[in-house]
Amino acid sequence: MLQLIADGLVVGSVVSLGAVGLTMTYAILRFANFAHGELLAWGAYLALSMLGILLAIGGAERMVPLSPFSFGWELVVAALVACVGAAAIALVLDKLLFSRLRHGAAITLVIASFGAALALRNLLQFLWGPIPTYYSRELQIAIPLVPRDVLGGMRITPDQLLVLALAAATVVGLHLFLTRTTLGKAMRATALNPQLARVAGVDVDGVIRATWIIGAVLATIAGVLAGLTVQLRPQLGFDLLLPLFAAAILGGIGNVYGAVLGGLIVGLAESLAVPLIGAEYRAAVSFLVIIAILLVRPQGLLGERT
Amino acid sequence: MSALAVEGLIAGYEPDLPIVREASLAVAPGEILAVLGPNGAGKSTLIKAIAGLVRVYGGRVLLEGEEITNAPAHTMVRRGLAFVPQTENVFANLSIAENLDLAAAIVKAPRARVGALYDLFPDLARQRRLAAGRLSGGQRQMLAVARALVVAPRVLMLDEPSAGLSPKLVGQVFEKLLEIRASGVTIVLVEQNVKAALAIADRGVILVEGKERVMGEAQSLMDDPAVAELYLGRSGRHAGEGA
Amino acid sequence: MDALLPVLSYATFFLVFVSVFAVIVLGLNLQWGFTGLFNVGVAGFVAIGAYTSAILTAPDYPNQVGGFGLPVVVGMVGAMVTSGLAALVVGVAALRLRHDYLAITTFGIAMTIQLVALNAQWLTGGAFGLQFVPRPFTETFGTTLGANAAYLALCLAILALVYVALERLVRSPFGRVLRAIREDETAAQSLGKRAFVFRLQSFVIGCAVMGLGGALYAHFVGFVAAEDFLPILTFQLWAMLIVGGAGNNRGAVLGAFVVWGVWTLSGNLLRELTPQAEQARGAALQVVLIGIALCAMLVWRPRGLIGERVGEGGKAKRGGS
Repeated sequence: MLQLIADGLVVGSVVSLGAVGLTMTYAILRFANFAHGELLAWGAYLALSMLGILLAIGGAERMVPLSPFSFGWELVVAALVACVGAAAIALVLDKLLFSRLRHGAAITLVIASFGAALALRNLLQFLWGPIPTYYSRELQIAIPLVPRDVLGGMRITPDQLLVLALAAATVVGLHLFLTRTTLGKAMRATALNPQLARVAGVDVDGVIRATWIIGAVLATIAGVLAGLTVQLRPQLGFDLLLPLFAAAILGGIGNVYGAVLGGLIVGLAESLAVPLIGAEYRAAVSFLVIIAILLVRPQGLLGERT
Repeated sequence: MSALAVEGLIAGYEPDLPIVREASLAVAPGEILAVLGPNGAGKSTLIKAIAGLVRVYGGRVLLEGEEITNAPAHTMVRRGLAFVPQTENVFANLSIAENLDLAAAIVKAPRARVGALYDLFPDLARQRRLAAGRLSGGQRQMLAVARALVVAPRVLMLDEPSAGLSPKLVGQVFEKLLEIRASGVTIVLVEQNVKAALAIADRGVILVEGKERVMGEAQSLMDDPAVAELYLGRSGRHAGEGA
Repeated sequence: MDALLPVLSYATFFLVFVSVFAVIVLGLNLQWGFTGLFNVGVAGFVAIGAYTSAILTAPDYPNQVGGFGLPVVVGMVGAMVTSGLAALVVGVAALRLRHDYLAITTFGIAMTIQLVALNAQWLTGGAFGLQFVPRPFTETFGTTLGANAAYLALCLAILALVYVALERLVRSPFGRVLRAIREDETAAQSLGKRAFVFRLQSFVIGCAVMGLGGALYAHFVGFVAAEDFLPILTFQLWAMLIVGGAGNNRGAVLGAFVVWGVWTLSGNLLRELTPQAEQARGAALQVVLIGIALCAMLVWRPRGLIGERVGEGGKAKRGGS
């Protein structure tokens, strides 16, 4: 039981990070971006390639792990470079596709994101191939946090603890950004009323760029963490898309804090549902969460507007 | 030099279908100019084109002699030009205080300025925690004006501030505009409510089919039978009874 | 004559697929083209129809639900009913809200159906799928070509029936209300709860037609498997509608023909050009290209090859401001 909760929170942290970006895109650009999952996958794979380059330059066979974690400093650098790459992809996508459709019906943007997702996913598969891989083959010893005789006990790997810590740190950082900085406040104003924000002096185009960059950076962090704690596969983004949407809707779409809460709940729900419905139906949990919340409280847990 | 001048402005949503057709006008510093005209005359489009919200296809907009034609809308407040839209002109989900603080934060306005605005709008000061969406029409309009003043503009443009307000509330809002003008702000007012607008305006301009038709002192426009004719069409006799 | 035979049988084969897809795209067109509902789970509703008809008509499988051996017609009707019911659940949850919610929810149901198809051994045969789905006309005609040609005739007849029915529907007062709701958000709001009921009806009917398409597919191929209903199918069907021009039923049919033709040709070409080991990559590249083509279409030719006929409520959208 405790172990399921711990696993659920780790998965939930990754979902939270991804869902924050998704919900921010929704708040500012007002459409459900089906390509957001691909930003996670691209971030994760760009980090993989960068890691390979760094290792080749250093002439190393593999990373020397930064104890107690399974990875070395190379992955940290690679992830940072991948953040830049994913942000560039998001900005190019906006420039070529979304910005041209922004003045039409919102649903056109959804369709476009659907097409973009398909192209990005298959391009990724074309470039990196379909076979799952890992950043590091280093095995980790799980730390027993709770002895086995208490509710089945709980063990967690240092990497998993890092996921939890990073997710928490990111949320705090994001909160400070949104409440303390001018850009953060400009984003809030744009989310509330873009036209009024514009006449109040907000550079809405700049806000849109910032949104893509932040969303892509969070997506990359989430993707790398998913790759680190599970594995890297081309469908990584596609498989996470439904949990991301479930988290965003559960929290109240457009609400950043709601997305974090929603992500943790979705992660927990998936993990706790496995003994009941079997691991093979794990992915359906998100769908049930979406249906349930839409029927009971469509504005989400923290949402105000309908 | 005019505080704000428009020369031969062509503007609209599609290049081959301009709504403003070679309109020209000028506002002297410290003046209140009322922009009037029948429905669909292009008043609102004109003011939005000046504010950078609607595309200008020809002509020029000058703010204190400096050309600002087609400058991005968000740069206008930094140049000293503020705009109050007709609808959705407050952040409805935020409280009064949050509305003003957010607007101040965006332009990095000094904190004292928000305090000064509370002095100008004591009604708003009294209920700062109230959500803007729950304010009455008149108070919401006051908040919208206060929001625009956060940037300490030299020219303030308002799109139909009287819309949806009772005559008494219109009086209160316009009263406030006179106070603002007294502090040296030039005001451009797009209005359906001809009588109320001309009562506080120094001068008025009447727009017909996207072009200025009559310009003059507010008082003379009030008495001009030709204005009534233009304004209300063939049957019109009571220019003052608009809206 | 002998040389013509392979061409003829390939053409029959190809056209059966085109007409099956055309039926499904017509259902999608009712939802998107005429009502503005964005359904991302088309493959899921097609799958429900295919599996339903297969289960109702197929012989007994060991350890599985089935063995009803009902006539194919009953299977097809059953397919429409189950797909429609699934649509009802999704629609009730999502159609009161902004369009995006329907997109997300339909995406979710398609994923879930894919999981059920893969894992619910007792119902869907799991990874093996359902074999021995009855193929009409195989006993009447001795040759495959004859059977296929007869099945093509059946598909074309059903396509014509669906086409005429939907044309009449969208031209009826009901259809005019749908278009009004799509075009004008204020009109939709003034209808309030009734707008929701109209949307729901359109969505359910559209999904029932998709289910029928699924049944037609199952009885042609003769077996049903989960991998036939991957998201790529949804995407292909959308490409057909967008290319043909949403809001126009003739465009929907044309789009099915054009896109399936391009897809098959480019697939064959890529198979010829890419070495055996790189086939998976080649297939991925094909999807990339079509994805880009769809996006380019949205940007440069949003009304498709034909598009909605002018004067049918399809006001030209205002260009940027």
